[in-house]
Amino acid sequence: MAADLGMIMIGAGIAVGLTGLGAGLAEKDVGAAAVGAITEDVGLFGKAMVLMVLPETIVIFGLVIAILGVFVLPNM
Amino acid sequence: MFGRKGKKGNYAYTVARVKAKKSQLMGDDAYQKMLMMSLPEISRFISETGYSKEITSMTGKFTGINLIEHATYANMASVFTSILDSATGELKDTLAADLERWDIWNLKIILRGKSFGIDLDSIREDLVPAGVLDAEDLEKLMSLDVDDDIIANYGRMTGVSIPQSVVAEYKAQGNLAPIEDFLDKHHFERLLATIDSRSRPTRLYQEFIRKIIDTINLETILKLKLEGIHGEPVMKYIISGGKDIDKKLATQLANAETIAEAENDLAQLDMYEFIKDALGKDTHSLKDIVAGLRRYKMKEASTFSHLYPLSIIPIIDYMLHKENEVNNIRIVARGIDAGLDKEIIKGLLVI
Repeated sequence: MAADLGMIMIGAGIAVGLTGLGAGLAEKDVGAAAVGAITEDVGLFGKAMVLMVLPETIVIFGLVIAILGVFVLPNM
Repeated sequence: MFGRKGKKGNYAYTVARVKAKKSQLMGDDAYQKMLMMSLPEISRFISETGYSKEITSMTGKFTGINLIEHATYANMASVFTSILDSATGELKDTLAADLERWDIWNLKIILRGKSFGIDLDSIREDLVPAGVLDAEDLEKLMSLDVDDDIIANYGRMTGVSIPQSVVAEYKAQGNLAPIEDFLDKHHFERLLATIDSRSRPTRLYQEFIRKIIDTINLETILKLKLEGIHGEPVMKYIISGGKDIDKKLATQLANAETIAEAENDLAQLDMYEFIKDALGKDTHSLKDIVAGLRRYKMKEASTFSHLYPLSIIPIIDYMLHKENEVNNIRIVARGIDAGLDKEIIKGLLVI
């Protein structure tokens, strides 16, 4: 049982970790572009901010999987 | 994967920056407004649309048309330099190779100015320190009186040495054509050699540059044809590496004695749509042909920039549009200064 729980925790960690890396890669270019656009026109801050946080959704998917794994799987 | 950015360059940042800059360029209505203004009003108007720093810093030194001419080129140079400064890696190298054309432009202006005995202030008016040579280097070149010294110093500063045979030809002929021709050909050869065509965006850029070479070659052929020059003497000025106008087509176009004779060959080219009205007129107007080719270049740059957004082409596209804006402002200002009719000035604009 303890070994199963350990595997679930590792799975949850991988899900959050890999999606975090994915989001980071996506945000690298979006962030650079956002800063570039804001440098020229501060009025673009709102739009740039929205585009900047869009890749964060990838982490949320990972987080959902991790939460399901940690809280739902042990009770099944 | 993570080291890619440093090597390739910061395309996302630079392209987003120039896209934001491009959205701030003047539109058709701004030129219409300027046509109704006097020179001081134009100075005030452009200072509200991105030229404020230059207008403010030069107001004490210049007035009227001189202020507008100095400020617009100074602004263009500072914008291009700031783009180059913010670029990194391969992008910076390619941009620097492209901006080398402004060094050539500046050398041509200085040599032409000196050979016609024009005063330094008037020469300074047309200089654009956007390449390797900054304003200080250009002042040094302008302070030299002998052409040989200017050419030798230019070679030392830029690393582009003009062969002795070309300089000798210039001295024998007494006109600058051999030097100008050498510099243009050398620039495009070096630019094409700089582009690594292994990836799709750089291949597209190479294709775009080859199209630019086509427009320059066609402009040369048509200019000389209007002067009554055709055949072999024209081929001497053709830059190799064009995309649609290869050596065979260039020879055919050059050999045609009149523009009407060359029209069938011209009709095969993409750029024909943009110049056919100018060619269709009874009296072929060089300014209409040049304006048509400029429109074609800008349209091609916009098209290519959409094919691969994270490449150098959106930046080149912006630079062409900025250059066009500056040219248009100068045309309006000069036209108003000379008291030209509004309709004539409007006809000279490339919008």
